[in-house]
Amino acid sequence: MILGSQDIRIESGNDMKDKIKLALAQISSKRENKEVNLQKIEALTFKAKEQGADLAIFPEMSLTGYVVRDQFYELAETIPGPTVEKVEALAKKTGMHVIFGMPELSEKTRATVFNTAVFVGPEGLIGKYRKMYLPTHSVFEEKRYFRPGYQTAAFQTDLGNIGLCICYDLFFPEVLRLIRLKGAQLIVCISASPSVRRSYFEILTCARALENTAYLAYVNLVGVEDGLQFWGGSRLVSPAGEVLAKAKYDEEDFVTCEVDYSDLRTAETFIPTLRDLRPELFDKLKEYSERL
Amino acid sequence: MKLTPSVLEMDFSEAQKRICRFIKEYVENTGAKGIMLGLSGGVDSATIAALSSLAVGGDNVLALMLPEKENFNQKDIDDAKVVADKFKLQTQICDISSVLECFYKDIPVFESKDRLCKGNIKARTRMIYLYYYGNKLNRIVCGSSDKSETMMGYFTKWGDAAADITPIMDLYKTQVRKLAIHLGIPEELALKPSTPALWPNQTAENELGIKYETLDLILYGLERFMATEEIANQLIIHKSIVEKVKARWLANEHKRRNPIAPKMGYRTVGNDFRLPRHTY
Repeated sequence: MILGSQDIRIESGNDMKDKIKLALAQISSKRENKEVNLQKIEALTFKAKEQGADLAIFPEMSLTGYVVRDQFYELAETIPGPTVEKVEALAKKTGMHVIFGMPELSEKTRATVFNTAVFVGPEGLIGKYRKMYLPTHSVFEEKRYFRPGYQTAAFQTDLGNIGLCICYDLFFPEVLRLIRLKGAQLIVCISASPSVRRSYFEILTCARALENTAYLAYVNLVGVEDGLQFWGGSRLVSPAGEVLAKAKYDEEDFVTCEVDYSDLRTAETFIPTLRDLRPELFDKLKEYSERL
Repeated sequence: MKLTPSVLEMDFSEAQKRICRFIKEYVENTGAKGIMLGLSGGVDSATIAALSSLAVGGDNVLALMLPEKENFNQKDIDDAKVVADKFKLQTQICDISSVLECFYKDIPVFESKDRLCKGNIKARTRMIYLYYYGNKLNRIVCGSSDKSETMMGYFTKWGDAAADITPIMDLYKTQVRKLAIHLGIPEELALKPSTPALWPNQTAENELGIKYETLDLILYGLERFMATEEIANQLIIHKSIVEKVKARWLANEHKRRNPIAPKMGYRTVGNDFRLPRHTY
């Protein structure tokens, strides 16, 4: 995996803070209604600003809802595009950073769509991440609609080096390991995880943070879409795997919490997984995964 | 995986919460004025009645009791009333006997001795009553199908399975019974033998030829892609019993789906026309 256009870095990171405040905006989305969802994103970004947050995070597909099936083709937009421009204006007006999820239409085609996380700052679009692992099993049908992404994403910003991933990516430790190795100290995972899978995510969020000694902010959708209930439970997990802040299960919630990057040194010395990495195993991993 | 009754255990408080949220959100999003359901005096309808009441309030739940002459059972009516009182439901009793008599009299090929076809008229007539009320009063029709009966195809097509929402369709019968007790439905009612009430003395277990305690474990194994032999070995039952259940489950997929159409166009209804269900 190589750096590419998705790793747009427009912030210097020179004024990087040691502590930042996150707003975990756990919302339910009105399906197929971008206007209403954008209003919610706007209102909560203002609320986050009022509460002293630097970064407001919204769930996977928060712009459109998750279960919209064939309508993804109508709802998808290019990035940059009309919605991102509105969020850029919002970020500029509030001085906030915002991460949210939306269906992204490829600029080069008319119907190639990605499940994308968008990262916007006061100076504009910082970057985007296209979901790499698209669940297509059980109730999930993402490969039917989306093309997978091919690059992990970590962005050097004024809020630190922040990596992005989406929901099912959490099941693949190599994705978050790579994000961490690219320098991310805070990994943001936006999600649309249904209730029957809650226990997996409660384990995985802690495990991924701990094994990478990185902060992990997980923001999940809530509400019921076509019978599929999303469980919420958004959280910030410390580099030692502790849940530092947690939103309610099953209902909309808004939680602010603090990331203190100075804690990374303590975590990395006590849990030196990065020091102990064995690169040669990754070659073996590649070799054996091709033979599965 | 060990196929023991414990695999069907669940957190019934959590199940209650999740199902109630599902009902409440659906009713709110559709702008409906409440829930319409049939209350037979059996465990499935008692459970959806209780859940509906807890979700949207008893005032917003209208339960129809739909007795008929041939199959009249005062005990069922009494049980239904106990549930209605406990969960403060609105109720109405409609005797469907005269409507059924009209069908029996007017269908040229009607034969009384064909009890299955005759019984299906009863289930479909009950559906017509529920949908008339739902339509007239702007209410959502709440179905009472459970997972065991749905998987076995043990229901009347366009009859008892016809509904807008089916809150307990993902729970096996033995789980529904436990949920019912958790909700405060009297144990006697929760555990009484289930019947679709299509003819006198009909019971589900007699017709299916298997106890729900065994059936549910077989279905649970099939749900999880277990081989029939493995299920039979674990439950210490003959493989033919599992195979029979599996055959019935597979044979009845047509009852669980929309009508099939030959593929003619670009996107086909019920096939690859994949749209979100609009509840707004």
